[in-house]
Amino acid sequence: MMQSLHFSRKQLCIPYALFLVLFVIVPMLLILFYAFTETVDGAIRFSFANFINFFTSTAKLSTLLMSFTVAIISTAACLLIAYPVAYILARSNLRRKNVLLMIFILPMWINFVLRITALRELLDLIGLLGTQNYLNTIIGMVYDFLPFMILPLYTTLEKLDNSYLEAAADLGGSKFTVFTKVTFPLSLPGVISGVTMVFMPSMTNYVVSDTLSNFNITILGKLIDQYFTAYDNWHMGSMISIILLVIIFLTLLATGGFKDSDRETRGANLW
Amino acid sequence: MKKIISLALSLCLLLPFVFLLAGCGGKTSQKEVLHVYNWEDYISEPTQNSDGSTENDYVDLIAEFEKEYNVMVEYSTFGTNENMYNELQINPGAYDLVCPSDYMIMKMISENMVEPFTDDFLQNSTYMKYASPYIKQLFEENGWTKYAVAYMWGTMGYVYNPELSDTVEEDLSSWAGLWQEQYASVATIKDSVRDSYFLGVAVVYRDELMALKEQFKKGTIDRHEYNRQVTQIMNRTDEKTIEATKNTLLELKENLYGFEVDSGKQDMVVGRISINFAWSGDAVYTMDDAEPYFNEETGKEEPGIYLNYIVPEECSNIWFDGWVMPKGANVELAQKFIDFLSRPENTVSNMNYIGYTSAIAGDAVFTEMTDWYSEGEEGDLDEEGSPLVPYDLNYFFNGTSDGEYKDGDYIIYVSAESAKRQISAQYPTQEVLDRSAIMQHFDDATNAAVNEMWEEVKGLPIPVWAYIVIAVIAAGIIVVALSYVYKGKRSDPKPKKGYRRVTK
Repeated sequence: MMQSLHFSRKQLCIPYALFLVLFVIVPMLLILFYAFTETVDGAIRFSFANFINFFTSTAKLSTLLMSFTVAIISTAACLLIAYPVAYILARSNLRRKNVLLMIFILPMWINFVLRITALRELLDLIGLLGTQNYLNTIIGMVYDFLPFMILPLYTTLEKLDNSYLEAAADLGGSKFTVFTKVTFPLSLPGVISGVTMVFMPSMTNYVVSDTLSNFNITILGKLIDQYFTAYDNWHMGSMISIILLVIIFLTLLATGGFKDSDRETRGANLW
Repeated sequence: MKKIISLALSLCLLLPFVFLLAGCGGKTSQKEVLHVYNWEDYISEPTQNSDGSTENDYVDLIAEFEKEYNVMVEYSTFGTNENMYNELQINPGAYDLVCPSDYMIMKMISENMVEPFTDDFLQNSTYMKYASPYIKQLFEENGWTKYAVAYMWGTMGYVYNPELSDTVEEDLSSWAGLWQEQYASVATIKDSVRDSYFLGVAVVYRDELMALKEQFKKGTIDRHEYNRQVTQIMNRTDEKTIEATKNTLLELKENLYGFEVDSGKQDMVVGRISINFAWSGDAVYTMDDAEPYFNEETGKEEPGIYLNYIVPEECSNIWFDGWVMPKGANVELAQKFIDFLSRPENTVSNMNYIGYTSAIAGDAVFTEMTDWYSEGEEGDLDEEGSPLVPYDLNYFFNGTSDGEYKDGDYIIYVSAESAKRQISAQYPTQEVLDRSAIMQHFDDATNAAVNEMWEEVKGLPIPVWAYIVIAVIAAGIIVVALSYVYKGKRSDPKPKKGYRRVTK
């Protein structure tokens, strides 16, 4: 009897298919539904009002601009800090480099709200809190998302075949040329994956901006939250979510995040 | 058979989800159940220890009610009025008693979402006996008596550190004090559209409000008319008012330390900020937390600061949270619960736990207040040798006594300094109430306009460097894109004869 028990692939898929339908497809459809409807006198009707409102509202467009700026600067700062770290960790022959890597990843295991609250106290101690709202927000984003940049960079750089670099050096490339012509291009999948993982959350992670800028900086995530909790307008909230989704989708498309023809880089794209 | 078993097993993988979804149901009890939906931390309950046991510090009102009436209470909590409203929309009939704020009660009444109280309740209930005459009159004038009862109430004002500057008390006797340059980066206001809108409107119409006050002082208009006109001004939502409010709030934003949702209390206590635009209940909490106290464990006096509370001269906002019964509620049981909470001794437990001011008066409450605040009898001197000042609470307590006090007795004697502290936040004076307005519920279109105004206040101004960053990035993207297009054309030569094109 026991031997005869076996699952076909189809059957094994059922839970996951159900999961997908329940927690991915249905919510997405609901968001779409809310985004393109409005409630007038208690009746829900189809409408583009939210869409038009978003692109004609000074407040929303400036919030979008602000989110973009914060996200771009945070991502750039993360990349600048994380690349050397990942490079050194991956390419050096340090013993215990895993321990070093772990130290960088360690903060991720502490509750995120706690970390940001602690950072608020620290910034207050230094004297930045209440005066440097933009800087604080960016410091918070970088602090929070740095591990997400280091990890994919580290994995790609570590898998990099040393013989490529040796070949390039043999053919007369200076250290700088080897880096710009070989190492960096080969690590691009890691860069892209890191950038997407930092850029997107930093457009929406309003806990950071609220806590560290004393609510002086509004980013898109905060706007969405306001529409759901304070303004009681799910339609506009959903519309902003959809617009954000489209932006993220376009960014992914532009950076080639969907390409997975490259077998070697597939793993790096995941992490 | 095989198929069936493996199918069943794969379904087993789903069981956790099923249980999760079904987790809410399944309780079978013969007892009547009362579904109460209230703000977090808004009823007296003992502190829970991490191991699940409870401390013996506060009265467990819910448990006592369950015991006395032999019923079950399903108690759940919400975080914002809007969340509560949505929950009621999604689950009509799921709750017997909810506790929204003033404007949400108005909205629910206007949308016909609530059950009226029974005539018996309106005539003979404990609530009607002990609720303050002031509150009852307020409800009567606004036509809410039939549908709602008040739970906690208060005003809005500034909590401030009197040592901030020599003139701080005088400066903050106007709402506009916060706009002064000398108070740059020391103050926070609420990250809440309605409260901040109120603040903005008060400053925009400052002159008009002060002129009204003059008239009232001279006696040209009576108390009633004065209050009516203040309320009318504070509820203006025309385009011009919204625009002016936006500009004045944007101006204020430059001068603020920031906005806050809940952190204002703690920031005041540790001295990070020195002025906070606060609800009176939070003000009491902040002042309690900040002042020096005697630590019984170490036997030492712990340092602290005495903070003051002030309601500026122009006007204030009367806010309250109250109980309403959504359509389909178990009216009988819900009214029993309200009456249970309205007993003065239970009110005292509640006020001890929550720290806000209850709408219920009565002997026990006044005794407790005397206990908290009284510094002596009429004619006594304070520590510095000046006579104590009377703090008159007759307007609130008159007519609610069971015999312990007489009408007109409700005066607490405090030092002049203390009169500016907790007690002034706990119970506003009659004079403050004369200039305090109820903020009406806005209709959908007004709401949208006011929210848009608030978004602009929160989202603007964009610093110049942000535009530069965006411009640089955009230029960068264009350059990279162009170079790709160009390179793509150039560096894709045809393979030589005899070679195949290399594909990835």
